[in-house]
Amino acid sequence: MAKFPSDEWVSEYERMINQSESYKEAGKTWEGDILFVVKPDSGEGEPNYIYLDLHHGECRSSRYVHPGEEPPKTQFRYIGKLGNWKKLMNGEIDPIQGILTGKFKLEGSMMKIMRYTKAAKVMVDTVSKVPTEF
Amino acid sequence: MWFFRSPEVVFGEDSLSFLSNLDRERFLIVTDRFLATTTLPGLLKESIGSNRQFMTFAGIGEEPNEDEILSSISDIREFNPEVVIGMGGGSAIDSAKIIYALNEREDLTPFDITPLEEIGLGKKSILVAVPTTSGTGSDCSWAAVFSGSKEKRKNEVASPEILPRYSILDPSMVLSLPPEQTRNTATDAITHAVEAYGSHWRNPYSDAMAEKSLELITGSLTEVIEDPTNVFHRGNVHVGASMAGMAFSNSQVGLAHALGHALGARFRIAHGKAVGLFLPSVVKFNYGAVKERYDRLNMIFPKKFRKESLDRTLTSYFLAIGQAVSVKSAGLDGNEYALLIDEMTDLAMESTGVLTNPADSDKGRLKEFFGEVI
Ligand SMILES: [Fe+2]
Repeated sequence: MAKFPSDEWVSEYERMINQSESYKEAGKTWEGDILFVVKPDSGEGEPNYIYLDLHHGECRSSRYVHPGEEPPKTQFRYIGKLGNWKKLMNGEIDPIQGILTGKFKLEGSMMKIMRYTKAAKVMVDTVSKVPTEF
Repeated sequence: MWFFRSPEVVFGEDSLSFLSNLDRERFLIVTDRFLATTTLPGLLKESIGSNRQFMTFAGIGEEPNEDEILSSISDIREFNPEVVIGMGGGSAIDSAKIIYALNEREDLTPFDITPLEEIGLGKKSILVAVPTTSGTGSDCSWAAVFSGSKEKRKNEVASPEILPRYSILDPSMVLSLPPEQTRNTATDAITHAVEAYGSHWRNPYSDAMAEKSLELITGSLTEVIEDPTNVFHRGNVHVGASMAGMAFSNSQVGLAHALGHALGARFRIAHGKAVGLFLPSVVKFNYGAVKERYDRLNMIFPKKFRKESLDRTLTSYFLAIGQAVSVKSAGLDGNEYALLIDEMTDLAMESTGVLTNPADSDKGRLKEFFGEVI
């Protein structure tokens, strides 16, 4: 069990993404890094950040940005409260629906994301396979 | 949080006359090159009233690209319309949505139309849709599709702010719709209803619209094909198509659209014909995931077409109305089709329909669908 988010969780996630045949296929032409921003439910306190560099169907690098560290600049930011991340991981909502319903905010080109919805879904499906504790 | 968005709908005979009540002066009519040669623009202007100022932009082709849509935007800004009317099928109405947005905000490009930000439209004008086909549902949707200027890709932009304020469903606008287009666009509408009803994003409002639309369309379409000038049945199919538009624009479509769009990007084929081609196979594939729902839809079809499952009913229905159920009957070159399957599979993978379709699929499965309809 890995705590979400943590170094351990992120490296397990990277390993699973790179093992996923369907991600390799769906993200084949994707280029761009993304920052997952996990905001505390209370609205108080610092968010947690997970950095992923995704390129042509693989995750080239990833890291958990430790509290107090400056998060890197990325092409995309996917931002939501912890409670909504849990819903996403449980499969109650899908990543695009998350944006349209206001549970998540996307910074970056929506047009680009819309062409990779299958890849986004596989990324989330993979999240839900990582044995996670909150 | 979820939404049900819809224009205010004016329907039935003489609905066009509603436009004469609008307390506005300058009307822009956006339509396609073919419709411009018919009596329909005249009929529309007459209903609005001869004391108003009109500008007609009829530069829209079958598959408009950005350059085509914006070719007269500076003249349009000069005219400064208070009402922007999209009259036609999906292309004309979608083009009107983009023109409406870019007339209001001169600093935008079509790609700046996004659901993520408030654009601030509606300060100068209102958007009205007058569909002249019964099927695309564009009059009820807040998305607009246009071709790339260079790439052969279809772009879709969306924002609740490009949802038409009014949709005018006057049967007189569809009485002269030719049989082939009547069939293709109705098939598109049936596909909208079926896909919206199974979608992961379905909700009680889209469900209600999908069920009723299917009832209206399948209850009247064969009558329309027999007697195209029957106002009652034309009206039913017209309203049904618009309701199917409301269903899918509030819950999304599925794999038949993902596959149909990919096919349409590589072959010259009517959109409704393309999505209808895949619908029975897609429904068969999804059956396990939404059996109860599909069985309910199956019961809505008139008894004479109904088979033991929805996929079979759809095939029998399409055959009965003369709709293509194979690549061959759709008139496509089978050899060329076989050569392009890999390319079309890649395109289909990029569609949101893959995400919202009730059953999960992968690239291999999508490829199989292309093979199944040969
Ligand atoms: Fe459609």
